[in-house]
Amino acid sequence: MSAAACLSKIRETHQRANGSLRLVLKRRGADTVLDVLRQDGCLKARFPRPVDWMEAVTLNSSGGVAGGDRLDWEFALRAGARATIASQAAERFYRALPGDVPARLRTKLIVGDGAAVEWLPQEAILFDRAALDRALDIDMAADGWFLGVESVLFGRAASGEQVLTARLADTIRVRRAGRLILHDAVRLSGEVASVLHRPAVARGGAAVATLVHVAPDAETHIDALRDAFAAAPGEAGVSAWDGMLIGRIVAGDGAQLRATVAAGLACLRGGRALPRVWMC
Amino acid sequence: MTNISTRIIRTPAMTEPAALLRLLAWISPAFPTGGYAWSHGVEWAVDTGEIRDGATLRVWLEDVLRHGGGRNDAILLRHAHRAAGDVAALTDLVELALATQPSRERRAETVGQGNAFMAAAASWQPEILRQLAALAGDLPYPVAVGALAGSQGIAEDDAVLALIQAFAANLISAAVRLVPLGQSAGLAVLAGLEAAITEIAATTREAALDDLGGCAFRSDIAAMRHETQYSRIFRS
Repeated sequence: MSAAACLSKIRETHQRANGSLRLVLKRRGADTVLDVLRQDGCLKARFPRPVDWMEAVTLNSSGGVAGGDRLDWEFALRAGARATIASQAAERFYRALPGDVPARLRTKLIVGDGAAVEWLPQEAILFDRAALDRALDIDMAADGWFLGVESVLFGRAASGEQVLTARLADTIRVRRAGRLILHDAVRLSGEVASVLHRPAVARGGAAVATLVHVAPDAETHIDALRDAFAAAPGEAGVSAWDGMLIGRIVAGDGAQLRATVAAGLACLRGGRALPRVWMC
Repeated sequence: MTNISTRIIRTPAMTEPAALLRLLAWISPAFPTGGYAWSHGVEWAVDTGEIRDGATLRVWLEDVLRHGGGRNDAILLRHAHRAAGDVAALTDLVELALATQPSRERRAETVGQGNAFMAAAASWQPEILRQLAALAGDLPYPVAVGALAGSQGIAEDDAVLALIQAFAANLISAAVRLVPLGQSAGLAVLAGLEAAITEIAATTREAALDDLGGCAFRSDIAAMRHETQYSRIFRS
């Protein structure tokens, strides 16, 4: 079989995954309850009983993400609703075929007056030659509360996987009362392994994360977060301005990254335990 | 399968002699933008020993230029240059440029120089910058330079090269004082960055605003950690 025929064979057998999930939560008395749930394709969500602070867990039944896949999430929290959104598992991003468009993931979070949302997915694990275009858009009221983290692992060192090349665009945008206050964009494409070795990039680290907290009192937590990061295994920095707290973490591997992220989150979550899916 | 992509290469416009004089004045270290006060995290990297000689300085700066602030400033300048007659578009660009700053001191670094640039450019009728500041408030440095250059006949490519070279030279001069390094060692680093600077100018020519961003994670962490550095002489 010629290379072209072989490629077309692979193409035929690779099914593109599409999915979308839309969730609206509202406040009823002291509880946060479901208002709207729409699930299409490979994306689903599940919830424990309605409680003061809801925990929603998202699932992707496609078994990993490949080039050309398209996944969309939208979570709207009406006034006063409070929820944590976590993913069931770390998401795997497999090798894209030559000519594939990158997997396109879009998440929109709408945070109403006095509402609070935590975006705590687990890590994105990139495999060699993965192509991912991911964006997280947060549109929040002036007095909204947001805490989120996006983590990326370039392969899993423990499994002997190495990512030599990849295409990654990973963007976090925050609009507060209509004004763009954060546009944090990771753009890393090409010879990823050699770029990650550069000293002002990651000095050989294979795991990175960005932590974002926006709240009226977000800046007051900076000292606690600095102390937590100083004692954690990853290398991390934190800065605060304009009602925002931004943390940047570089770590040698996924375990160090997770320990550092967890230490940072512990300062900002009022003593609530991490989502149970994070513990497995 | 062949992937055909159309690339539009602009013929670099010439900068007229009078406009070139303006660019040389604005980008000179003597132009009072206060650039000497900012190190973009280099002071932290020197303190930790990561930057300790010409070789380590050059590698660090190449990362900052290719994967961090340098490339982003080039993209912002280009878009500001093209929007020089459109205050509404420039106002959006100011908002975006500020939102891309990864730390408090990095935000102060770009705004401090942008606002000082506008004040220092008073003799060149910077009407566009006055209008922009009235609408947008603080001016990020590459947006201010791009908008004024675009409204005063300075070719976009020339303005980009000048800005990125000045950015590199300023960080080298910070390192020369901090390491310390000899003047000639610093100049050797500047000469060694020529290829990186011209490549960034070339590769940002067709960059969209969606291409803003990068991966200079440890440069960002350096700027963040600089906030609590025990002994410091720079403001970033």
